[in-house]
Amino acid sequence: MGDRALATNRGRAPAPVVSVLGRNWAFFFLLLTLVVFSFTGKNFFALNNFQNIVHLATTSLLLACAETFVIITGGIDLSIGFVLGLSAVSASSTMQVLYAAHWSAAASILVGIGVGLVSALACGLAAGVLVSRYRVPPFIATLGTQGIAIGVTYHICGGFPVWYLPPGLTDIGNAYLLYIHPASGAWSFFSRPAGVAANQIKELVRVFPLSFFLIIVFLILLWHLLKNTKFGQHTYAIGGSMDASVRAGINTRRHLTLIYVLSAFLAGVAGIVDLFQTGTGNFTTFGAQLELFAIAAVIIGGASLMGGKGRVLASVVGVLLLKVLENGLNLSGVEPFYRYIAVGLILIVAVVIDQLFPDLF
Amino acid sequence: MTRRAGFTSFIGQRWAVMFLVIELIFFSSLAGGFFALNGVQIVLFYSTTLALLATAETFVIVTGGIDLSVGFVMGFASVVSAKLSGAFTDRGLPPDVALLLAILITLAIGLLPGLVNGLLVARLKVPPFLATFAVQGITYGISLLLTQGSAAVNVPNLANVIGNGYLLYLVPGHGISFLAAPPVEPGHTVIGILPTMVVVTVLFIAVCAFLLKRTKFGRHTYAIGGNIDAAVRAGINVNRHLVVIYVLSSFLATLSGIIYMLEYVTGKSDAGSSFMLDSVVAVVIGGASLFGGVGTVWRSILGVLILSVLEMGLKIMGVQTFDKYIAVGVILIFAVLIDQFFPELIHKED
Repeated sequence: MGDRALATNRGRAPAPVVSVLGRNWAFFFLLLTLVVFSFTGKNFFALNNFQNIVHLATTSLLLACAETFVIITGGIDLSIGFVLGLSAVSASSTMQVLYAAHWSAAASILVGIGVGLVSALACGLAAGVLVSRYRVPPFIATLGTQGIAIGVTYHICGGFPVWYLPPGLTDIGNAYLLYIHPASGAWSFFSRPAGVAANQIKELVRVFPLSFFLIIVFLILLWHLLKNTKFGQHTYAIGGSMDASVRAGINTRRHLTLIYVLSAFLAGVAGIVDLFQTGTGNFTTFGAQLELFAIAAVIIGGASLMGGKGRVLASVVGVLLLKVLENGLNLSGVEPFYRYIAVGLILIVAVVIDQLFPDLF
Repeated sequence: MTRRAGFTSFIGQRWAVMFLVIELIFFSSLAGGFFALNGVQIVLFYSTTLALLATAETFVIVTGGIDLSVGFVMGFASVVSAKLSGAFTDRGLPPDVALLLAILITLAIGLLPGLVNGLLVARLKVPPFLATFAVQGITYGISLLLTQGSAAVNVPNLANVIGNGYLLYLVPGHGISFLAAPPVEPGHTVIGILPTMVVVTVLFIAVCAFLLKRTKFGRHTYAIGGNIDAAVRAGINVNRHLVVIYVLSSFLATLSGIIYMLEYVTGKSDAGSSFMLDSVVAVVIGGASLFGGVGTVWRSILGVLILSVLEMGLKIMGVQTFDKYIAVGVILIFAVLIDQFFPELIHKED
């Protein structure tokens, strides 16, 4: 879809350079911020920091991918932030109960993950059926399931993070593929080399967090799903024109339901990732606005709220732009509160560019 | 139309009122002390801030837009007014002058977010969802900067006297007094009737309801929401009107923030963070359509009352307040489903 639009632009537009720049302005802006922060930020330009940025962006990336699919169909999913919390809390509570009942750590973790994902899928199914079968506007349907997800989450956890989980969660969630200790030359996979004591941990060079595997697998799958499959084509078609898709014989009801289930599933996975990274079952706080940041990332990536437009990789650039900005401002010594202002301004720039030069996209 | 259809139509049009009545009966019988003067006044007092936000949201939603910034504009206003009144008192101004000045300046500053929203939506054709979300982030960031992440508490005590005062004070057997509690000997009870902030809120809402229902401004608002092209062709200055709508919304949100500051004697940047969606929910429960053209102020207030009676009732019953969100989600979906299945029943009279 995107490539075709670009091709037709090339056919008649006199300045393909402008078109490429405009279409990928977020990417170039990301490069620019990387350069600027490398000069202004303390320890910004370092392997460790870049790995950290992406590692901590895992959940945001999953949420942005979820939102990309929904937004391409012309909908919106306001529930994903709280579905993430529901998934994390229900998974961790299950683990806590099972582990306390003397199940093995591995078994309780696996069952917990299953419960977390099922609870997320239930939210997605409810939203999907409401949107596709009962024609409830996506904004309202997902606002409703958001309320239910919040209520159930707090009911389970009572407003406190879930503790006393099986050991080993963060060992998996925060592990790196390769550990090197330059001083002694020792190295190992997945955990600290045997010869390195705990007080030497700062000297370790850690390469490739395990979360990268998860991100890469998911991004490739979702990118392929959206770009090269019938499922993806139907997604764009529904966003382009609902009536035309119905007439073209697409089972739009089933497809829309699947889209919301997919979105909730990705949010559920993000909740499990959060659980593994933090080692506690965190509920989503009201001020978190995870879904709104995900939507912002997708829009910065060039999608349109009217539907029919959007790319997985562009949304990834949107997320990275927001995360790099946050990290870079922080390391440059700017007060964290400016982050909200910066995100707001960038969002306005993104949409105004989209409005003023629609032919570029 | 048969009598039966007439009956369903009667129910369909009034389901929100009936739901509120059922809620009141339910909580009056199950929650002790709910159906008493005090209980009712507490619910109304608690509703003031949300009611103003829902009124703001009603205007925007009737035009077919949405304003996600109201919650944080409210927090921003509470912070600015609290900071200013504190600063003025520190400079030696008497508390009444300081408070008045702070409120006036805050009301003026509070027009800015709306102006930005309006210009983005009307001139640059940015979707309202995004424009107001961006502005929300900016106002939140600024209020966090002003407070450095904590609450602004340096407010003169006069705010407490005004914000938590009553219009009428009744001393049984001794008479009544207006606005200030009469001095009484210990042992006498003083009953406050009509919290001042409720009266102020109702006045503003009444003006807004009149504005939307009876004036040319209101008719143009419905016209834009009904069909923007037709509104343009009918000669309505749509761009200017939309800017005014978003400024009005921002003004009401600012007012809500000032009332919050007076009631709770603090300024908090996240004072309205959960109200952002609650206000939309209230308007939708009130029967407005997110596609624009439908909705009235009083029905939105009905939505607000359904939400706050539910919350207060559950609180008094000792049910975990988190469960409120499940109920709100279900009511919201229920409201829209009724709207979807019986559109002609509900909107026939509007």
